[in-house]
Amino acid sequence: MSKGFANNRLTLLALGVIACFMGVGVRLVFLQVVDRESLLQFVDKARRQIVVEHARRGTILDIHGNLLATSRSELTLAVDPWMLVDYLAEEKNEARRSKKRLDQAAKRAEFAALLDIPTAELEKIFEPKMRPIALDKDRKDGTPDGLVKDRWVKLREGVDEPTFEKIQKLNVQGLTFERVYRRVYPSGGLASHVIGYLNKEGTPVAGAERHMDLYLKGQDGWIESEKDGARRELAQFRSREVPVRDGNDVVLTIDSVVQHIIEDELKTIAAKFNPHFATIIASDPQTGAILGMANYPSFDLNNFGKASPESLKNAALEYLIEPGSTFKIVAAGAALDQGLVTPATMFDCGITSINYRGRDLKLPKEDHPFEQLSVAEIVSHSSNRGAAQLAMLMGEEKYYEYVRKYGFGRRSDLALGVEERGILEPPKNWDSLTITRMPMGHAVAATPLQVHMAMSAVANSGTLLRPHIFKEIRDTEGNVIRSFDPEKREQVLKPSTAALLAQLLHGVVVDGTAKGFDIAGFDIAGKTGTAQKIIDGKYSNSRYVASFVGFFPASRPQVVLSVIVDDAQLPKGEMASGRNVSAPSFHHIAEQLIQYFEIKPVTPVSRNLLAMQGGAL
Amino acid sequence: MRPPPAHAFVSQLIALTLLLLIFSGSLGLGAVWVRQEISGSANRSHGIENKIAEVERRLDEVNAEVATALNPSELLRQNQVMMLGLSSPRELQIQRVNELPELRLAKKRNGGIFNLSTDRIGAENASGNNSYSFKIITASLH
Repeated sequence: MSKGFANNRLTLLALGVIACFMGVGVRLVFLQVVDRESLLQFVDKARRQIVVEHARRGTILDIHGNLLATSRSELTLAVDPWMLVDYLAEEKNEARRSKKRLDQAAKRAEFAALLDIPTAELEKIFEPKMRPIALDKDRKDGTPDGLVKDRWVKLREGVDEPTFEKIQKLNVQGLTFERVYRRVYPSGGLASHVIGYLNKEGTPVAGAERHMDLYLKGQDGWIESEKDGARRELAQFRSREVPVRDGNDVVLTIDSVVQHIIEDELKTIAAKFNPHFATIIASDPQTGAILGMANYPSFDLNNFGKASPESLKNAALEYLIEPGSTFKIVAAGAALDQGLVTPATMFDCGITSINYRGRDLKLPKEDHPFEQLSVAEIVSHSSNRGAAQLAMLMGEEKYYEYVRKYGFGRRSDLALGVEERGILEPPKNWDSLTITRMPMGHAVAATPLQVHMAMSAVANSGTLLRPHIFKEIRDTEGNVIRSFDPEKREQVLKPSTAALLAQLLHGVVVDGTAKGFDIAGFDIAGKTGTAQKIIDGKYSNSRYVASFVGFFPASRPQVVLSVIVDDAQLPKGEMASGRNVSAPSFHHIAEQLIQYFEIKPVTPVSRNLLAMQGGAL
Repeated sequence: MRPPPAHAFVSQLIALTLLLLIFSGSLGLGAVWVRQEISGSANRSHGIENKIAEVERRLDEVNAEVATALNPSELLRQNQVMMLGLSSPRELQIQRVNELPELRLAKKRNGGIFNLSTDRIGAENASGNNSYSFKIITASLH
């Protein structure tokens, strides 16, 4: 072989290699520059995906960290019957294909057993079907016949994780799933009106769920990445990522045990008296923290869809009642605070009318005939005429000022959303009898919470606090990011007046309208209330709002408790009074709370003292 | 000076081309290897993320179950089902201890060790003189 020939061959080879490179280079230029946009569009469409990561909603906890509301992941199962067809079609060997088919059928039978549905029903779902589609959109399967493969048949919602784990182990072909978070309330109906709930769409509807939604909901994250042919994410092609931020946890001031005690008592009240509604509220007088708030009727948070509209209402905030005699703490407290009277000041409560600013005013009726009563007796025996005279000593303006200070006629601002303001007209709108009727709790309407907070002001050295139900907000790491401190609203009474009034209220259970409902050693202070209901514009003589609102121990109050029962049904001849209906429940709850909070007796408890007080314990 | 022969130039060109091919091939293989590693790491971290999410899900599940089991209604129901007869104490059943329980227990124990009658300790307490008991406790602690 000559040297020239070899050189020519090498030159040709080199030129060939260079030409190949140039060819590849030219193609690359076309791919990367000339057709770049159209190709990128195609690739983006086929491969790029944005995966939204849903934030986990925060939990709601009671004051001791017990779970009241949490989010649990659940799965929605669906079937793509065509996936099974494709899976079997991949196997070319007939024998192996039929083995696979039988194998899958056996798995589906197990799957049906796990879901507790008949196998035949499941097999029907797994049958491949076509569904109609608009002709102009029918480009998916190549034949524009107005039919397309039905690749998503919903099978079951709300499958829990342990069941799903078993299902996944079966490796059933054609099964698809979507994971969703569902709100669950481990305590069922406990504190349902306080906690609130999320509707089927996940929208918070009421209670803490709604009011604290901003903190609870968190922020969804998303990932921009690519997917492979099987629609699995190719993690290496993640280009942008916004991390998910789970919701914060909300800690309530509610104590599950207290809540349970009062709800249990409400069940007893409901069974015994079948009332229209009933409310029990327990709170800490020093902080205004609500320890328990329950209503009858109530509902199960996990089955809110079955609840009646009435039972969804938080009666403590949304229903208005005439406070009745519990309102007498306003007139008594104000008159004592003004220094117009002392506990020993006497009033003639036997008179039927009184001259007030030049006019003879008819005084309200009494439940029992009274003669001369001291202020202490007016409170303990709940004299309507006595309370009217106390208010008249002050005059309309001053009395109204105190009523407002006690928190009536304005929202208590408990951060739970819906709340009624109550009805309290200014003195210019009063008729001549209002000054005689309002002190006994008529001509004014308030929510059970307003009545409760008014008593709480007496228990808290005369200071009215804003009630609060939220203790703090915690982030996902458990760090406190916001806490809610007590908020003073008004100095209603001087501390000395409040202490004096507390002692007068203790008289109610010693020798007053709730005699016998004291707890030996713990000095219950409280006030009964029996307000006639207004039926067809008139005060009814057979239907009442019975209440007992009080606190204990009187000298160093630790718990304020209200039991309000609307329209209790008693056997004929018995009056649904505060004493008959509410005081026994108050007493029963107080006994349990004393044990639970380890409240020490104010006076040593001896068997003799118990015997003297009728062996109440 | 004579120009280099043509075949020498061609040989150099071929050698350089081959070198270039080997170099670019190595670069390509390196890039592929790096990509594989990135892909592997990304998938591993993706897998770990999924596992963490799964553990969190299970944790939520367990927490919800624990909360359900611990709610007061359920505990009371269990109390009835298991016939435990548990109930909260009544005031009459409670003996309130105002002194430190540790000291009280220490006194009780040491009284036995040093043959001190409980009457003597009781009398001492009643008189408000705790020094003797204190000595005993101190001795015991030493």
